[in-house]
Amino acid sequence: MDGTVIRSAALASLLIAAPMVAEAHQLVVFASVDCEAVTVEAKFSNGNPVQQADVRVLDGQNALLVTLPIETDGTVTVPLDSVDHSEGLLIEVDTGSHDNYWIVTPDDIARNCQS
Amino acid sequence: MKVFLRPLLGVWLLVLSATIAGAEDRPRIVAVNYPLQYFAERLLDDTAEVLMPVPAAVAPSFWRPSIADISMIQSADLILLNGAGFATWVDRVSLPRSKLTNTAKAFEDQFIVTESITHSHGDGGEHSHEGLASYTWRDPLLASMQAEAVADAIISRGLADAQSVNARLATLQADLAALDQQARASLAGLQGVAMIATHPRYQYLAQRYNLSIISLEWEAGVTPNEAQIADLRALVADSGARVLIWEAAPPAEAREVASGLGLQNVVFSPLAHGPEENDFVGLFSRSLALMSDVSLR
Repeated sequence: MDGTVIRSAALASLLIAAPMVAEAHQLVVFASVDCEAVTVEAKFSNGNPVQQADVRVLDGQNALLVTLPIETDGTVTVPLDSVDHSEGLLIEVDTGSHDNYWIVTPDDIARNCQS
Repeated sequence: MKVFLRPLLGVWLLVLSATIAGAEDRPRIVAVNYPLQYFAERLLDDTAEVLMPVPAAVAPSFWRPSIADISMIQSADLILLNGAGFATWVDRVSLPRSKLTNTAKAFEDQFIVTESITHSHGDGGEHSHEGLASYTWRDPLLASMQAEAVADAIISRGLADAQSVNARLATLQADLAALDQQARASLAGLQGVAMIATHPRYQYLAQRYNLSIISLEWEAGVTPNEAQIADLRALVADSGARVLIWEAAPPAEAREVASGLGLQNVVFSPLAHGPEENDFVGLFSRSLALMSDVSLR
């Protein structure tokens, strides 16, 4: 097997795998809400909690409201009275190498506050 | 004169308000991609508002919606998901389960698993993940099953008259069966011919019709850079590929580069977005005809 063939084979396998790269490095973000706060949970797709990450909270106009460090158990609590949530909240979690988001709509807040 | 106009104005206002109320009363259906939007529109024939909210410049599979988008989607009467991992945003929002329909659920055993990749991050150790090819509607027979799932969802939620929906489903499925027959005839000559696609969008087409398609990761409609051309050259030399499938019309320069490598260029729209002209069946059929032309050269 000469170098060209090896290079081509490697290239082909990389190209086939490439679409997976964006999907594969999954950081899973989930946020639940009640009348008091939004609780954000972040973990890797293998189940391990994220231990270091910035949690950015943005409003309905994509304006940054607050940035919080995640706790070592992969969660952080955002008190609703600390942010303007009238147009919903966008929660972004960024570990530096991975990021993901969760969207909380005004209906989510209203619905979970009533229940 | 005023005496004559007043009743006419009143009638006109009544008609206008009835029209507006009618439009507001129509059920709203949200689809995550154009094929599902197309199926729903054909099944409902204007008795519902069918929306595909992703802007034309954004790939529907990787769209990042705004809060307002999600609020609109949450208020829909029916939300049509493609399944097979298509539209990653659906896992990043709360959607009412009673309104969700996974249109690929019936054929999960036919999903194509894409290559896994091994990596590590944090203290999680080395591990790998598998993904799924998600452009299921590229196989007309799977598309037909998705259309049936859309019809079932519409009927079970009472969004339209069952008899009418079933009649339209029969017509739609006949069109999709005709596409399958066309594909069998058009693509038969390409079995055993190595082909390269500029994006991994054709796995289900290849699986159904026994085609050999290697995928690149080129951006649609953009001229490849020198490194990409070098990679393509190596891939052609290695695979003996004779056909390059583009998901959108390439710039003339890119087309010439591919021709210079001995590749025949074919544009085969993945149809995740609605076409500016034609529709799902028409454009799918036209793409098959182009593939047929290639096989004859």
